[in-house]
Amino acid sequence: MIGNILLTLGMLAGAFTVLMYFMTYKGYENTLKFARIGYHTMAIMVIASSALLLHAILTHQYQYKYIYNYSGSDLPTGLLMSTFYAGQEGSFMLWLFFTAIVGLILLEYTSKRGDLEQRVMMIFSLAATFLLIMVSPMLKNPFAYIWADPTFIEIKSIKQSLLSAPFLQNFLFEDAGGGKTFVKMNSELFGILKSQGIAVNDFIVQGKGLNPLLQNFWMQIHPPILFVGFSMSTVPFAFAFAALLKNEYNNWIKQALPWVLSGTMVLGLAIMLGGYWAYGVLGWGGYWGWDPVENSSLVPWIIGVASIHTMLVQRKTQAKDGIGRFGKTNLILCIMTYLLVLYSTFLTRSGILGDASVHSFVDPGMTVYLLLISLVGIFTILGFGAIAYRWKYLNEHFNFEDNLLSRELALFTGSVALIAAAIIVLVGTSAPIFGQSVEVRFYNELNLPIGIIIGFLNGFSLLLKWKHTNKKDFLKQARFSMISAFVLTILIAVFGGVTDIMLIIFTLSASFTLFVNLEIAYKIFMGRKSFLGAYVAHIGIALFMLGVIASGSFSETKQIQLTKGEKVNVLGYDLTFTGFNLIENGQKYAFNIEVADGSDKSVVAPVMYIAEFNNSLMREPDILNLITKDFYVAPVSYEDGSGHNSNAGTNVTLSRGESYEFNGAKIIFDKFNFPPDAMSSMMSGGDFRIGAEITLEYKGKYVQLEPAMKNSGGQRSFEAVEFKDANLKIEMSNLDASGKVSLVLSNLDGVQNGQLSSPKEILSIDASVKPFINLVWAGVLVMVAGFIISAFRRSKESLVIDN
Amino acid sequence: MMKNKYMFGGFIIVVFLGIMIYLFTQTNVTYEENFSAIKTSSKTIKATGAWVKAKNYEIDREKNIFSFYMTDSHGTELKVIYKGAIPNNFESATSVVVTGKYNSQNGYFQASDILTKCPSKYEEQFDENQSS
Repeated sequence: MIGNILLTLGMLAGAFTVLMYFMTYKGYENTLKFARIGYHTMAIMVIASSALLLHAILTHQYQYKYIYNYSGSDLPTGLLMSTFYAGQEGSFMLWLFFTAIVGLILLEYTSKRGDLEQRVMMIFSLAATFLLIMVSPMLKNPFAYIWADPTFIEIKSIKQSLLSAPFLQNFLFEDAGGGKTFVKMNSELFGILKSQGIAVNDFIVQGKGLNPLLQNFWMQIHPPILFVGFSMSTVPFAFAFAALLKNEYNNWIKQALPWVLSGTMVLGLAIMLGGYWAYGVLGWGGYWGWDPVENSSLVPWIIGVASIHTMLVQRKTQAKDGIGRFGKTNLILCIMTYLLVLYSTFLTRSGILGDASVHSFVDPGMTVYLLLISLVGIFTILGFGAIAYRWKYLNEHFNFEDNLLSRELALFTGSVALIAAAIIVLVGTSAPIFGQSVEVRFYNELNLPIGIIIGFLNGFSLLLKWKHTNKKDFLKQARFSMISAFVLTILIAVFGGVTDIMLIIFTLSASFTLFVNLEIAYKIFMGRKSFLGAYVAHIGIALFMLGVIASGSFSETKQIQLTKGEKVNVLGYDLTFTGFNLIENGQKYAFNIEVADGSDKSVVAPVMYIAEFNNSLMREPDILNLITKDFYVAPVSYEDGSGHNSNAGTNVTLSRGESYEFNGAKIIFDKFNFPPDAMSSMMSGGDFRIGAEITLEYKGKYVQLEPAMKNSGGQRSFEAVEFKDANLKIEMSNLDASGKVSLVLSNLDGVQNGQLSSPKEILSIDASVKPFINLVWAGVLVMVAGFIISAFRRSKESLVIDN
Repeated sequence: MMKNKYMFGGFIIVVFLGIMIYLFTQTNVTYEENFSAIKTSSKTIKATGAWVKAKNYEIDREKNIFSFYMTDSHGTELKVIYKGAIPNNFESATSVVVTGKYNSQNGYFQASDILTKCPSKYEEQFDENQSS
């Protein structure tokens, strides 16, 4: 309740702020003070409601539907906190929270720079207000009560002592398929609970929990950093819009640059962390799968990088021409960066990518869909409307000719290449809207030549001088880098065995960039270190490209079966599966594999477990990090060989209705005999019996049999059944929650028929070697470092008043 | 004379848009929910449907093959063969999207990728008439 009041007040304060800033812009005199109060009020409301949500999560208040749906009582604190943004509602809250904080800094920043504040903050507050509408009580509201709409809650979430309460019996429902019992939580039940004096969070004592795929370290840092990046992408839009409002295009460049640099840095870091998450924990094999959700945050990043380069040109050329070059390009790119973030939000949250992506959200309903569309629409109209309005003026004032051998032109061409890359990724990502989809090679084949162009352009542009370059000087300067790049490429091609001509050219292009930047960085390092940023970032991207080439084209993968104790040679390593052990309170199995490379021995331990959350087998890879390469082991399956031991027989697994023939008898599994009280006693660790009802058809006769699994006094045992006519014994060996039963079929007289597998423990794995993958991570980190250095330099410059 | 800026920029954009449109037609994959149509097509397709639980699935560890049956809304069934391990979440998936081609000689769908869509944990839709 309080949460919703805070959010509603925040929304009103946001709208008020927009209005007050607008009036200030229009020339009213006393409204600026109100605008500031308005913004601070909004920020306080947002921060307070976020704190309230976090508190409710930490104290397990399952009366909130959102917390019941995504959180759980048995999560460690870090992961518990990360359930804040595990669903749609909370991730909007997180985005809103960071937007509010970024806005506070931006307000402080702009208030020191003349009349910038009202123009910038007006549009920024509008963006924040839209997010507040999104989490308002009518839409994706994290504070909605669980009984507001009838919700079916599994009884394992309900306090056990209340399950037998008479008032509850009318609200119990059994799911026809899975044999689970649910409590229908609606306002009627809430009324009864209230009259009984039972608080809802004493009644619902457990949430659905966090998806096990998200239960790891990266969940705690990747989404927050990504949303900081998203929040900061609003800033360049606001600056560009402010410039268009005033029809003054000089100052905004240097004022916006530190924001663009730091925003792009944060977004880039977030994207890389997401890639590392996919690679190191989720076991997707690679760091980038061109998944629509991954792509949709990459596109705004690429445009952000393009905008940095053309903005630098404008900044540099301002000294001579006053207004500088590429004014129109810069406005468009800064506006596009934010629009693409909004579009990406629309794609991933509207349910439109439902069939296309592993991790898109489900359909959020029509209202949210329309709000997402109008969010994209309104900001597109604002941004491009403003440009159209000023187009005539812009066209008259930004009209320059660039020399062929000038850094300006090289940088512009580089930005165009980046834009082309962004368009390609965007088209591929948007294809599912039209019921289409593209294969991964669409991205790979198109981005490879663009990568080559960008690599060469980057190197050349730094050798070129501003305005005009003498051809002789240029060739002289390029000599060292050109020769070094050729040598390195030949070395890589010969020793790595690269034969693909495109990859060789790409290697040359990346090495060229690397050497050009290393040379310049070395010279600068001796002088003004604050100017290092760009070169450090470029060295990073060059290392990244080389890492992509190496890990992408030389990776080898093999699926292999490891029998316990037997040594197998895979991809040059001797692997021995030595057995498994239980980890994390016995919930997960770690499979230990000894990896020997000559005399070097180490152990990798990929993990598999059945997640209670979704009754699915989860797999986690393990990586042996060897500096020059990763040895990557992803588990596939495990057969423990047991079940054979007790009574040599045939193992079969049957789903309901399935049958199997043995000794001339047809064995049909009908269903489980799973009494409701067995479930609760299973949960509490008490005694229970679960039977498997089987129909046996033998020579036209039908017989009903029921082998069973029993638990008494903590001991699990199995009741076998016999059928003498067919010389058949049926024993249950396992059951799983998806409704399948495992049976051991054997001859009563003990004579074995057929070939039997001996009890072997076999672990299947996907093993791969990924050379120089560390260059990918190192490259991005170096690039991020470069961004940080540049952002510092440019933020100092932004205070200098020139012209 | 045309400006250098537009020449270079325009060249890159035109060339890449050209290649992109060509590659798009080469690599595009359509979603298909009607399995009868899949069985007459030789293109790479993303087939969406549901796993036929009654027919279970088979795992051939020797050959590393995972196979199962899928059905569309008309009840047309399709045998799917996938080289690789059973995907996470497969058993709890409400719908399955498989990418691949139909092998009309042997009468099965050779999948190169399987995507499982899990029951939306957000809005569970139980009908009351479904409960007992």
